[in-house]
Amino acid sequence: MSESNPWADQWLKAQQQFVGAWSDMAKSSNAGGNASQSDLWSQSFELWRQACQAQTQPDIQQAMQKCIDMGKEYFSMAEQISKGMTNGANPVEAVNQWMEQIKQSMQQFSGVPGFDSTAFGDFMKQWFNPTQSWQQMADAFTPMNQAAWQLPGMNTSVFNMGEAIDPMGKILSSPGVGYFREPQEKQQKGIQLGIEYHQANFEFNQAFLRVASESIQGFQARLLKIDGEATPKTLRQIYDLWVEISEEHYAEFAMSEEYQALYGNMVNRLMILKKHYSEITDDFLRAMNLPNTREVDTMQMRLQQLRRDNIELRNEIKDIRAMLKQPQSAPAAKATPVTKPAPASKRAPAKTAPSRKKAVARKAPAKKPDAVVKKQAAVNKAKAGA
Amino acid sequence: MSNIPFRSDQLVDELVQFNQNLSQGVKNLLDADEISAGVTPRQEIYSEDKLTLYRYQPSTGVVQNKIPTLIVYALVNRPYMADIQENRSTIKGLLDTGQDVYLIDWGYPDMADKYLTLDDYINGYIDRCVDVMRERHGVDKVNILGICQGGVFSLCYSTLHQDKVQNLVTMVTPVDCKTPDNMLSHWVQQMDIDAIVDAMGNLPGEMLNWTFLNLKPFQLMGQKYVSMVDIISDEKNVKNFMRMEKWIFDSPDQAGEAFRQFIKDFFQQNKLVEGGLKIGKHDVDLKNLKLPVLNIYAEQDHLVPPAASKILPKLISSKDYTELSFPGGHIGIYVSGKAQATVTPAISEWLNKRS
Repeated sequence: MSESNPWADQWLKAQQQFVGAWSDMAKSSNAGGNASQSDLWSQSFELWRQACQAQTQPDIQQAMQKCIDMGKEYFSMAEQISKGMTNGANPVEAVNQWMEQIKQSMQQFSGVPGFDSTAFGDFMKQWFNPTQSWQQMADAFTPMNQAAWQLPGMNTSVFNMGEAIDPMGKILSSPGVGYFREPQEKQQKGIQLGIEYHQANFEFNQAFLRVASESIQGFQARLLKIDGEATPKTLRQIYDLWVEISEEHYAEFAMSEEYQALYGNMVNRLMILKKHYSEITDDFLRAMNLPNTREVDTMQMRLQQLRRDNIELRNEIKDIRAMLKQPQSAPAAKATPVTKPAPASKRAPAKTAPSRKKAVARKAPAKKPDAVVKKQAAVNKAKAGA
Repeated sequence: MSNIPFRSDQLVDELVQFNQNLSQGVKNLLDADEISAGVTPRQEIYSEDKLTLYRYQPSTGVVQNKIPTLIVYALVNRPYMADIQENRSTIKGLLDTGQDVYLIDWGYPDMADKYLTLDDYINGYIDRCVDVMRERHGVDKVNILGICQGGVFSLCYSTLHQDKVQNLVTMVTPVDCKTPDNMLSHWVQQMDIDAIVDAMGNLPGEMLNWTFLNLKPFQLMGQKYVSMVDIISDEKNVKNFMRMEKWIFDSPDQAGEAFRQFIKDFFQQNKLVEGGLKIGKHDVDLKNLKLPVLNIYAEQDHLVPPAASKILPKLISSKDYTELSFPGGHIGIYVSGKAQATVTPAISEWLNKRS
C-alpha cells in the first residue's frame, strides 16, 4: 500500500477525524453535539472503501463490507453507552439506558409491518438479521411480487389491519367477466396470494419483535445478577454477553412450535405465490410464441429419463459383450454364475484412467438373478444360431 | 445492582484499538492474494455431467493401503472443506497415513440437473465412481468415507452394494433426523417441500445459506465479524479466514428432485429409522448392512446433533462397529488442529486394520 494512493490519503484523514472526535467525546459530554460519531466513522470508512473497491477481489470486498457493517454497529453501541457515561451514569446504568431506548423504539414499531430496522438503531440490526436477510432473499426470488407492491394503492401497511383487508378480499374474490376473464382471475388470485404472503411475513416479523424485546429484558436481568469473574470488564465483553443472551432467547424461540408454524407458513405462502406468478409468466410467453418453463421442464424430464435408459442399455451391452467373450475360453454352460460377477481384478482392469465421459464396466445394483440368467440364455441362443 | 468496572476513557481506548485493528485488517484483506480452494495436489480421474472424481496424489514413503478410499461429500457446500489448508487438511492426513484417497466433487447443478433423483446420485453416480476405482486398482471392493449428507448417501449405497464396499466410515452423518435437538429438522416439518421444489426448480444455495446462518444468527452474522477484526489484523490469518469465509458462502444449488426426496424421506418422515426408504426401485433397510462401520460424530455439532448419528448401531447388523466422538463442532472436525491430530489418524488406523 503506497502513501501516495488517493484512498490511502482518505483513510489517513478518516483516522484522524475518528480519533479526534472520540477523544473530544471522552473529554466533554457536550462534544460532538447531536452528531453521531458512529455515523461519522462509517461515512468516512465508506468513502475510503469505495475509493479502494476497484482494487479488491469480490470475495474480499464482501468480507470487508461485512466487517465494516459490523464495525459500525459495534461503534453505535459504544456511542450510546459512552453518551450515558459522559452524562454521569455508571456503566450499568448507561447500558440500561441504551436498552430502554431500544425498547421504546421497538414499541412504536410493534404492529407495523415491513418495519425499517434502521430506525431501531444500527446495533439492533442484529436482532433482525434473520428477517432482513429473509426479505432480501425473498425479493430476489420473486421480483414479480415486489413489482406488484409498487402498484398505486398497494400500501403494505394495510396488511396488518385485520378488518381492513376484508374489503380488498371481497374485491379480489369477485368473479372475472368477459373475454379476458381467465387472465383477470389469475391476476386477482396473484394479488390475493401476495396479501397472504405479506400477512405471513408480518406475523413472522412480529414474533421476532416480541422475542427481541424478551431478549433485552433477559440481558438487563443478567446484568443485575452478574458478579465476580463473570462481570464484563470491557465493551467487548458487554457485546459478547449481549450476543450470548440473544442467542439463548433466539434458540428457544427457533425450537418452538410457534416458530415452526410461522416459518413454515411464510415459506409455503411465498412458494405458492412464486409458482402462481411463474404460471402467469408462462402464459405470457406462450402467447408470444416463446418457450416457457413448463415446456423446458417437460424436455428436461424426458431427457433425464432418456439418459437413464441410455446408461442402462450401455450396461446391458457391456454385460452381454463380457458374456460373449467368456465362452471362448470356457463353455457358456460352465461359466461362473453370472449373478456374482468375477472380481474386477480377473476382468482385466484398465491400467489407466478411463477416458473422460466414458462409462466404465459396471455391475448393476441388485440386478435380479433371473433377468441375468435370461440374458445369458439369449446370448447362448444367439451363439448357437450363429 | 452490580457494577461494570470500566471508565469512559477506557471505552475510548478500546474503540481506538478496535479501529486500528480494523484498519490493519482491511489493509491485509486488500493485500491478500486470490483465495485458493483445496491445497493437496490431485488428478481428475473420471467425470460425468457436473461430477468429477479426483484422486489425490499419494504420499511417498508411507505404506500404502491397497484398498482405495472414496470420500463422498454432501451436495450442500463444497468438498474442499476436507482440504482447506496445508496444515488443516483431512485429506492430507489420510494420505500421510497410507490411504489412497479419491473424492467425488458434485460440481454446481443447474436447471438442466433438476430431475436428478437420489437414485441417480446413489445408484448412478456413486456406483459408477466406485466401479472406476475398482477397475483402476484391480480390487473387488473399496472403502467409503461419507461426510454429513454424503454419509447418508454412503449408508444407502453400502447397504445396497455391500459386494463393492470393504469398510464404511460415516462422519457427522444424520441418521435419526428427528431428534429433539435438531433445529434444521424442526424448521422443515411444516414446510411444503413439493411447493418449494415446484416453485423453485432447484433449491438455491442462497436459501440454504440463509438457513444455516440462522441456526445461530448472532454468532454467525454478527459476532464473527467483530471477532474477525482481531483475527485479520494479523496478516498471517487473513488467508485462512478468507478460505473459510469462501467455503461458507460457496453453496451450490440443490437438484430439485433429489432435494425433494431427501427432505421428505429423511427429515420429514425419518425413513432411515422408521423404515420404508426406497432409492429408485430398491428398498433400503439398514438392518441389511453388515459391513465394518466406523461412525464419527462431533459433540458440539449444531447441524447434526450427536444423537442423530449415535443411533446407527441400533439400526444396522454389523458385528464390527466402532464409534468415535470428537470434542468439537461440525466444521471443527475437519479443520481444527485437534481433529488433525486425533480423528484422521484414527480413521486411517481403523481402515488399515481392516483392509
